[in-house]
Amino acid sequence: MNLLQGTLDVLILKVLALEPMHGLGVSRRIAQVTGGTFQVKPGSLFPSLHRMEEAGWLSSSWGESENSRRAKYYRLTKAGQRQLKDETLQWARISAAMASALETS
Amino acid sequence: MPLGSRILALWRNLARRQRVEEDLDEEIRSYQGMLEDEKQQAGADPRMARREALLETGGAAQIKEEVRDVRTGAALDSIGAELRQSFRGLRRNPALTILGIAMLALGMGAATVVASIFYAALLRPLPFRDSERLVDLSETRKARGIDQASFTEANFWDVRSQNHSFEEVAAYTFSEFNLTGAGPAEKVNAAAITAGFFRTLGVSPAIGRDVSYDEVRAGFENNVVLLGNRYWHSRFGGEAGIVGKTLRLNDHLCTVIGVLPAGEPWLDRQVYVPFGYRPNADRGSWEFAVIGRLARGVSADAARADLQRIADGLATAYPKEDKGIGFRLDSSSTWVASDNTRRALWVLMGAVTFLLLIACLNVANLLLARGTARQREIAVRTALGAGRARLVRFVMMESVLLSAFGAVLGVGIAYGAVRMLQALEIRGIPRLLEAGLNPAVLGFAVLIAVTTGVLSGLAPALQMPIGGIAATLRDGDRQAGSRRQGRLRAMLVTGEVALSFLLLVGAGLLIRSFTQLMSVDRGFHTEGRVVFSVSMPGGYWQKGVGKQFLDRFFERLAATPGVIAAGAVSHRPVEGGDVGMGIDAVSVSDPQRKAPWAGWRVVSPGYFRAAGLLLLHGRFLEETDQPVWKERGEPEPLRHVVISERLAKLIFPKEDAVGKHVVLWKGQGGMDAEVVGVAGDSRERGLASEPTLTVYLPYGRNALTGEFVVYTRGNPLALAPTVRSIVARLDPNLPVADVRSFEEVVNRSVAPQRFNATLLAVFSGLALLLATAGIYGVLSYSMIRRTSEIGLRVALGASGSSILRMTVGQGMRPVLGGLALGAVGAWSLSRYFTTLLFGIKPLDALTYAVVALLLLATALLACFFPGWRAMHTDPAAALRIE
Repeated sequence: MNLLQGTLDVLILKVLALEPMHGLGVSRRIAQVTGGTFQVKPGSLFPSLHRMEEAGWLSSSWGESENSRRAKYYRLTKAGQRQLKDETLQWARISAAMASALETS
Repeated sequence: MPLGSRILALWRNLARRQRVEEDLDEEIRSYQGMLEDEKQQAGADPRMARREALLETGGAAQIKEEVRDVRTGAALDSIGAELRQSFRGLRRNPALTILGIAMLALGMGAATVVASIFYAALLRPLPFRDSERLVDLSETRKARGIDQASFTEANFWDVRSQNHSFEEVAAYTFSEFNLTGAGPAEKVNAAAITAGFFRTLGVSPAIGRDVSYDEVRAGFENNVVLLGNRYWHSRFGGEAGIVGKTLRLNDHLCTVIGVLPAGEPWLDRQVYVPFGYRPNADRGSWEFAVIGRLARGVSADAARADLQRIADGLATAYPKEDKGIGFRLDSSSTWVASDNTRRALWVLMGAVTFLLLIACLNVANLLLARGTARQREIAVRTALGAGRARLVRFVMMESVLLSAFGAVLGVGIAYGAVRMLQALEIRGIPRLLEAGLNPAVLGFAVLIAVTTGVLSGLAPALQMPIGGIAATLRDGDRQAGSRRQGRLRAMLVTGEVALSFLLLVGAGLLIRSFTQLMSVDRGFHTEGRVVFSVSMPGGYWQKGVGKQFLDRFFERLAATPGVIAAGAVSHRPVEGGDVGMGIDAVSVSDPQRKAPWAGWRVVSPGYFRAAGLLLLHGRFLEETDQPVWKERGEPEPLRHVVISERLAKLIFPKEDAVGKHVVLWKGQGGMDAEVVGVAGDSRERGLASEPTLTVYLPYGRNALTGEFVVYTRGNPLALAPTVRSIVARLDPNLPVADVRSFEEVVNRSVAPQRFNATLLAVFSGLALLLATAGIYGVLSYSMIRRTSEIGLRVALGASGSSILRMTVGQGMRPVLGGLALGAVGAWSLSRYFTTLLFGIKPLDALTYAVVALLLLATALLACFFPGWRAMHTDPAAALRIE
């Protein structure tokens, strides 16, 4: 299933709010939390990660993975936490509006 | 902090590009590696795991490209790429590039030169604190038609003490001194100022101190002096130690107390001496420039009312001198440039704008011609999905690049040109020395560079194929849009011709006006004459010392080989200005009659011949004629004067003036004198002023003259060393200064007019050149496109002359349109010219005709060559091209 624009960002923020993670981890966790609905390809994952890092919502550092490989870990910044809160609220509003719109018609 | 992290990212992306890229590489590799690990753990064998991981990751290059697109500054990156591409494009077309840059550089160079002069003269603020509170004051005698006059000393002191509107009022009068005791005697120009003068301006000395209010004694004989900044540098090497040293000025020892900062106006004299109040100050002689600083919260109108109150009081208290007195208050903004200078600078500004527009049109034309070849490239880009905005940017990039190079070169040209103008010391342009490439002017240059770039790219950008991509791609260069483009290019030519017409008319009018000015009947003669000044300080006026010097000096001059006549005058002709007096016939009894106002000059008998004045009636003054001023202890002198023709006609309309008696200084004391001669009118106040009404008064012991005119055979300036050595031998304390040929004196006086005419001539010459190039380019391009058609015509039997007619006709059509448009434009703009012209009307038929003919002839020439080539088209070769 294709992701709506902006959906991916919010999912990434949500996933990273729990703990710092590397790219593959993010991808796997999203698949897991959405019950396999969203399979994030690296072609959209990396641009999104980098964009949010440049926006100051994420920060990154090199660390060691479970299999002792060098991997780049992303974590949420303060600004990222605020952003997640804003976007969560927004999503709640949108989905409520959509739901009511689709039900009534 | 989002902005902070953005800026950081931008910096990283631009400056640490390699690190960022390596980081991304490694990140993607590690992603792949972890994916591989995952597959192996799930049980795949290593080779399969690797294959699957690669497949699932997808192309690393694409991922990287996607990431690059979201990076901050990605747009900058792509602009950079386009810039490089445009740059390569320009390098592939060196002829177009060089031509375009040269045209724009000329236009922008000219604009920058004029802008820097304009800024220094008109826009740059006065170098004074709160200059909006500074005002200029002058006296008026409305009843006598005198709208603006200097102050008299006594009236100044009265205004200073009686006003309630000013923080301070100060006076300034021109003066000069002989500096002796340090090398050869030297004349320095000076100003005498009241103690508060610089405080009024809000200026403090650069080093040392200002004059204090209590050290100013009555009169001018004080012991302190302030130096002007330029003089301090040129004469004393800018030494700070000068403060406290003494200078011998007119044989008075004066202590230097300070040096003023550089600047104009008011601060550009060589030395300043203070003067203070004296109870017996003169109330008759208008000699003082007066400035005032309005007290806080006092409006100009309130101050005017206050001054009116003082004027009424003065008129009652001193009916003899101050009858009908009034005061005038003007803003300090009038100090820098007169109305005419302002107007001339605006005209020049308009002229460079036109020139720049012509350059823009020409570059647009060039780019359009090339744009045809480019339409294919643009069509390909459109087909590949480039948006319209992006295409416009792409096309504009080139013209902006051209204009950027043009601007750099133009600013270089401007730098040199401004330096050159400064070195020529052209008179009449205010604050020329302060003109330069300051931030304001450079900002203007950047602004015009961008505007020029956009303007000249506009036409090519609008020409981009919108629909019809397929046609463009199929037909290539030849057909698509060419008709529309031909029309557009013809319109550009029309614009160029019209603008050139405007410039040429402007230049033509100024040149005509200048030649009129130079050939006007001057009344005096300059050939073979040298002018110099030897000024004698106050001591020479006592006991006949000065007259004795003059007698011996004239004696030596007369004995010098080559000298035909030598004379002296109190006010240097043309440059000097003069002082006035009321004068009328003794017999006039009508109290209502306004006495004529005439300038007076004290002259030696030799002056008339030396200056080449005509004698119309009676005789010139002679050695036996005495000064009109009575000497202490002597009886009233028998007064003899010579008057100029116009003045004679004004006072004695019906009779011969010779032998009649007149009242000199009528209304200001009055003296009886007999007219012994009538001299021809002369423009002693400058060529552009009407001939002056003049009274020539005899020189003598108490009427010394400091300006000399000597008429010699041969080169007048060759006499200078002889004059210097004669004066040095007679009196080493007297400096010989301002030695110039009379012709040069006249030339200096018309320098502003010459400057305007020359500059406008240069600009219009450039405009003509550009327009010619434009006409030629458009026509020859269109002829190349029509080669096959012309070939066909020739093959079908069209004669060479008919081909030529057709070609020239096509080329001339936009030119004729431009001429009509230009004539209308010039006609509507010419009224702004009226005050700048001398002796001709702004709608001078001759100028318009010559300009139209010149443009027509040049255009015909430009059309002839493409026509000639078309005429000699070989039909066989032409048809084979298709």
